[in-house]
This record gives sequence, structure tokens and C-alpha cells, in this order.
Amino acid sequence: MNIYYKKWFFPLIGLAFILFLTVILIPFVVGVFYSFTAWKGTFFFKNNALTYNPFSAIVGFDNYIAAINNEKFCNAFLYTIKFTVIAVIVINIVALVFALILTKINQGAGIFRTVFFMPNLLGGLALGFIWKFIFEIIFSKVFFGPDGLIAIDALTNMTQGNFKPLLALVILVVWQMAGYMMLIYITGLNNIPTDLYEAAKIDGASNFQQFKHITLPMLAPAFTIVFFLTLASCFKLLDQNIALTNGAFDTRLLALQILRTPSDTSPPNYGQAQAQAVIFFVLIAIVTLTQVILTKRKEVEM
Amino acid sequence: MRKSIKISGLLMLVIFIASLLFTGCDSSGVSASKKDYDLYIFSSKGEITNQFEAMCKAYETEKGIKIKLYQIGSGTDHMEPLRIEMNSSNKPSIFSIQGLRELNEWETSCSVMDLNTATVPEFINLANNIPENLKLTLDGKANYGIPYNIEGYGYIVDKQMVTELFPSANVDKLINDIKLSSYDEFEKFVIAVDNYIKNNTSTKVILNSNSYELSKTKTNLTKNLTGVFSVAGAERWTYSDHMMNVTLGAIFKNPAEARNATDEKLDSMKGALTKYMKALDFKTSHAAGNEGALSRGADFINTTTCDYNKAIQRFAQNKALFIKQGNWANTNIEKINPEMTKRLVLLPVKMPMASSDIKCEGMNVEKFNSSIPVYVPNYFAINNLVSPEEQKLAQEFLVWLNTSETGKHYITNKFDFIPYNADKNLVLKDSINDSILSYVNENKTLPAAYHGITETWSKEVVGLELMEKYMTKPNWTTSDYENLADFAIKKWKELRYPDCINH
Repeated sequence: MNIYYKKWFFPLIGLAFILFLTVILIPFVVGVFYSFTAWKGTFFFKNNALTYNPFSAIVGFDNYIAAINNEKFCNAFLYTIKFTVIAVIVINIVALVFALILTKINQGAGIFRTVFFMPNLLGGLALGFIWKFIFEIIFSKVFFGPDGLIAIDALTNMTQGNFKPLLALVILVVWQMAGYMMLIYITGLNNIPTDLYEAAKIDGASNFQQFKHITLPMLAPAFTIVFFLTLASCFKLLDQNIALTNGAFDTRLLALQILRTPSDTSPPNYGQAQAQAVIFFVLIAIVTLTQVILTKRKEVEM
Repeated sequence: MRKSIKISGLLMLVIFIASLLFTGCDSSGVSASKKDYDLYIFSSKGEITNQFEAMCKAYETEKGIKIKLYQIGSGTDHMEPLRIEMNSSNKPSIFSIQGLRELNEWETSCSVMDLNTATVPEFINLANNIPENLKLTLDGKANYGIPYNIEGYGYIVDKQMVTELFPSANVDKLINDIKLSSYDEFEKFVIAVDNYIKNNTSTKVILNSNSYELSKTKTNLTKNLTGVFSVAGAERWTYSDHMMNVTLGAIFKNPAEARNATDEKLDSMKGALTKYMKALDFKTSHAAGNEGALSRGADFINTTTCDYNKAIQRFAQNKALFIKQGNWANTNIEKINPEMTKRLVLLPVKMPMASSDIKCEGMNVEKFNSSIPVYVPNYFAINNLVSPEEQKLAQEFLVWLNTSETGKHYITNKFDFIPYNADKNLVLKDSINDSILSYVNENKTLPAAYHGITETWSKEVVGLELMEKYMTKPNWTTSDYENLADFAIKKWKELRYPDCINH
């Protein structure tokens, strides 16, 4: 087998590498280059002069400075951080609680696992529209409206106001992602040797002590991956954001902000949008790498 | 065996890389690859894609010219695909520009041909004969597009409903009187109808100095009414683009004037904008809901209750007397209530302007309150960057479309368009279109002045402010009116097109 792989190494990875090169790496490099030019979508426009040659339209860090000074970009950045922190914490708690419950029950665990996982199979836009309907009709009228089952004003019209849309989006992503993360936690929980718990029981450890000193440390590898997945996907969230509020009530997340930047000005400022995208990439890289390094340190080798 | 697999694998790689190199790297436009067409048309009029294709086929058979057609469906973004096509080596010979807002981009990149430099004599004639107020131009001299058609909007009203509300009146005379009435008369008329709907009271109203009496009883039709106006509170374009544009018609003669407005001119909009808010307040306070009146609040901006389709539905189900929409709404109304589309008439959107609020030359309060906005939604532009042969073919095609019998047949009968160069006696099968044409013939039209400022201003900034802070607020005060007016002026100054800042 080894000889086979040695001999066929380059042909085997060749196609995958070429795909990576042409679809990801080259566009990425070109994109970074364009972020340093006055790119307007179909032409370059530097100092009120029209050109089709990118090399004569290099503006240095102008686009980056403009992006950082762009009020909308800064607001979107803060909003994204706020959303990501809340969403990651809530998703993890919910997923872990589900996982703990499902590893304890004997009957119907498979059905629950499937049901909790199912929202993850829906696309972001579809989810957004479904939840828009739930928030606007089911929540606002049927359940919590003035004529509903229980009148709770705070739970009506969740897509409007200052804080409610953030909460609405958190509810949506928790519903979507918690099932998936739960599966990772279940696998992690099943991998913990039962003799550890037996030994702890003999030593007289309470349930909480067992959870704190055995379950949590032994779950560290699962935490690494779950934190990484939730952090990255919440930071990059786009479809759900578009479908639910589409930026109304200052709810633009960074991805939506980058998408809308060209249409905010005329002619469209693709150079600045590209600069925002590069900043976005660097931010995600820093945040997720730091997180992976930090959580890796906590992992216990058996 | 193995060797042949290896060789074929390598061969595939080579082909793959080669194809990438050839297709991916020609953005400079130096290597024009071979084209398999004579004329390339990019059209962004989504409602008529099938008919447009049939028209192109007819041209192909008649003239023996091979057309490549790229069309964008309704409701999808057309700018990104167009930019991609403009970056390719085979650029469109004819492409569409949706008004002055989009012209900015193509004008800056010099990719749109000034029709004054055209070469085909019939085409020069066609371009020169576009009515002044419909020309796509920034300075009044250059001329960048041939209109697809004209569109207009105002309060759509069902004649049958008016007949049953005022059984003793002559309906055509009454509708004409509503058209000509002042804002005060119109306001009293709306209040009287609203009282009739809610409290069943019958009163006399005075319109254009003629007295009319409301019906004493409710008929099968009028008992459906829940309010006077059908409002789409979740659709910012209905109030921040369209209704705002009516107001801007009191200030600017055309979009180019709005685009080049000085700070003093912008400051002078305050009076008109305050009146806009007053009219909007009045309108949204008399809105029709599904069961009973609809009032401003959280529900008012929910898409599940107040989007475009819901508003159309309420109107088509006879729940409202008026809806502010244009001829494009006809197809949607037809789906719900086909009978109704034969009886629709357009009425002007009136505002409580004083003559001191009107800053546009040749405009006065009476004319303002009896006119509707009529403008060109989409223009055919010729690409400046394609070969002169293609430009010539493009000109010949546009001449054929607008002057030949077949071309005109497609425009009026197949596309259901109102031709921009319509003859005074032309009768259209669509009642709203006919109504628009009558305003054009009476010369009572307002421009699309809102095209003079970026879409961000109307939709994203002023529209969002109105939706978030006003449409959800039950009561508006006079200072609210003024705050919004100041906000709109301030933001206009910030969001002007880049080349207009130096004024």
C-alpha cells in the first residue's frame, strides 16, 4: 500500500491541489491585491482618472484606512463580536445539556438525536424566513401577543428594537447549530472511560464533582472543535442575517456589511469592500487560532 | 494499462490548466476570443423575458442577424451579472440602464455611448426625438439611452367602488373632480369615506367645488372596506422612494437638476419635506387592515403582514379604496381579482403644499396636486467599448424596435408597454396604462427626481429612519415632521454623487 501511495502521490493530490489553487488560493491572492487598488467593479478610478490597468491604480492602504474609518463597518464589527460571544456561549450550553441528557436516557435517544440534528440540514436563508414567520406571527400573535396564550410583551416583534433582533438571531442559530454540536459532545462523552466514574463514586464524589473533575476535562478535545466551529460560523454568519432583518435596526453583521459595501456608493467601491474582506479574514484567523491554541492546552492526554 | 491511465491523467491536468489560463486571464480585453453572434443584448427588464426573446427571434428571421441575448429575471440583481459581462472580452453591444442612478457608473467608465455621436441617420433621428423630460442625460446635452417604455404611479382606484360609494354621482365626473381637487378637499373626502367605513355615517363632500353625497347604505362591495389606503409599511421603496419622489417633483424639474443641486437649493426642500411628512402621517393614519383599520406600530413594518403582496391583496379584495402603486401592480392585481383590472384609474398623490414650498420653475400647487410621476424605468444604452460594426448593428436594431410595425406591435401588444413615443390617439388594453397616457397627453407629469441622489439615501438611510422610528410610532408631532425633513437634507448632502460635492 505504501509503495502505491509513494508512486501515485503527485497524480493523486494533483487534481485536488489544482482545484485549491485555482478556486481558493489564486482568487485570494488576487483579492488581496485588489484591496490595494481603486477597483470599481469594471474599471479602476484613481484621482478622478479612469484606467483599466490595476498597476497604475494602486492606492496603498487607503482602502484599509477608509474601511476602519467607515462608521458602518465599525458598528458591524462591534455587533458581530456581541452576537458571537452570546451565541457561542448559548449554543455550547444548550448542546452540552442535550448531550448529557441524551447519553443518560435509554429509550428514544436515536429519535431525539435525529430531531435535534435536523435544523442543521436546512439552508440559512430558508431558516431565516421560517423564523421570521415564527417571530412575526407565532410569537407576536399566537403565543405572546395581547390576544395570545400568555401576553409577554418582551417576546413579541422580536425582529424590531434595539436588543431584540440580536436575541432573535441567537435563538435562530442555537436552533440550527445546537443539534450538530450536541452530536460532537455525545461522541466525546461516549469516549470517556466509565472506570473513571466508578473510581470517583467509590471515592465518594458527588455528581457535580464528577462533572467538574472528570467530564469537563475529558471533553476538552470536543470543546476545541465545537468552539472552533461555532466561533467561525457565528463570525461569518450571513444568510440568516439577510433573511431575518436584512440590516434593519442596525443589525448588519460583518459579512452582510461587506456584501452591501459596493451598493452603498456609486460607482461601487469594490476596493474598499475587498479591504474589509481582508480585515475580516485576518480577524477570523486570529480569533479562531487563539481559541484553538488555548483550548488545546487544556486537553488531557490519556 | 497503468501507463495509459497515468498518461491520460496527466493529459487531463494539462487540458485543465490550459483551459484555465485561456479563459481566466483575459480581463485586460486584449485577446478578444471569437464570437458566435452579431449583436449582443443584455436586458434587465425581468417581467417580459419570454416576449423579449420572441421579439429577438422575429428580428433574427427578418434581418438575418444573429443575436445573443442575456436576460435577468424579475427580482434578481442585474448589476453583478452586467459587470461580469462588461469585464469579459465579448461585451454586450446593447445593455440596459435603469435611470440616472445607474448611469453614473457607466458614464464614469466611459462605457456608454453618447447617442449624439451615432452614425446611422434613422437612429440619430430617433435619439433626437426623445422628449426632453425623458432623456437620459446629466447636463441636457449628452444623450445616453433609448427608453424601453414609460411608467407612472399614483393612487390606484377602482371605478366600481367609487360608483357604489357615491351612487347618485356621475362617476367619471367625480373621478375627474378628485383628480383636480385641492389637498384640503381631498383630506376631507378621505375623512368622510373613513367615517362611512367605520361608523356608517353618510356625509356630503366637496370636490373641486362640486358637492357629492356618500351612499346611505353599504353594498356587497363597499362593506368589504376596512380603511381608505392600502399601505405596505414593510416596503421602504413605497414611501422613501416613490412617495418621496412626488415631493421632490415640487423642487426639481428633472433628476439631473436634483443631482447637481446646490446646498441652498437642498436647504429650500425643508418646507416640501415637512408637507410630505404631513401627508404621509395622514395616509398611514387611515390605512386598511385585514379585519378593520390598521394603525402604525410594530405590525405595520412586519413583512408577513405589510409587504407589497399583502398590500396588493388587500386592495384587490376591496378592503381599501386607494393603493399607491403603478402600472406594474396590474399583473399582481389580475391574479387575485381579474375583473378589477378593467376598471382601474390612477389619481395624483396630493400633498398639502403651499406655494412657498414649491421651488421648481413652472410648477404650482394646482399642477403639482393634479400630476403623477411618469418616467422611464429602463433605457437601452449602446456600449462604447464594442466595435463600430456592432454599434451600427445596435443602432439599426433599436430603430427597428421603435419604428417598424413588428417592433411597435411587440412593444404595445406583447410587452404591454406604454411606448415613450406614444401617439395621442393610441388606446392601450390596460386601464392603468391608459390612465397614465392621459396624464402624459395633458402634460401633467412629475419627474423621477429621486434618481438624482444615490439609492443609499432613499432606501437605506431615509427609508430605514422612517421605518424604524416613524412607522412604528402611533402619533407624530410637528417636530417629528421637521426632524425627518432636516435629517433627509443633511444626509442628502453627505451622500451626493462624488463628482457633485464641489458645487
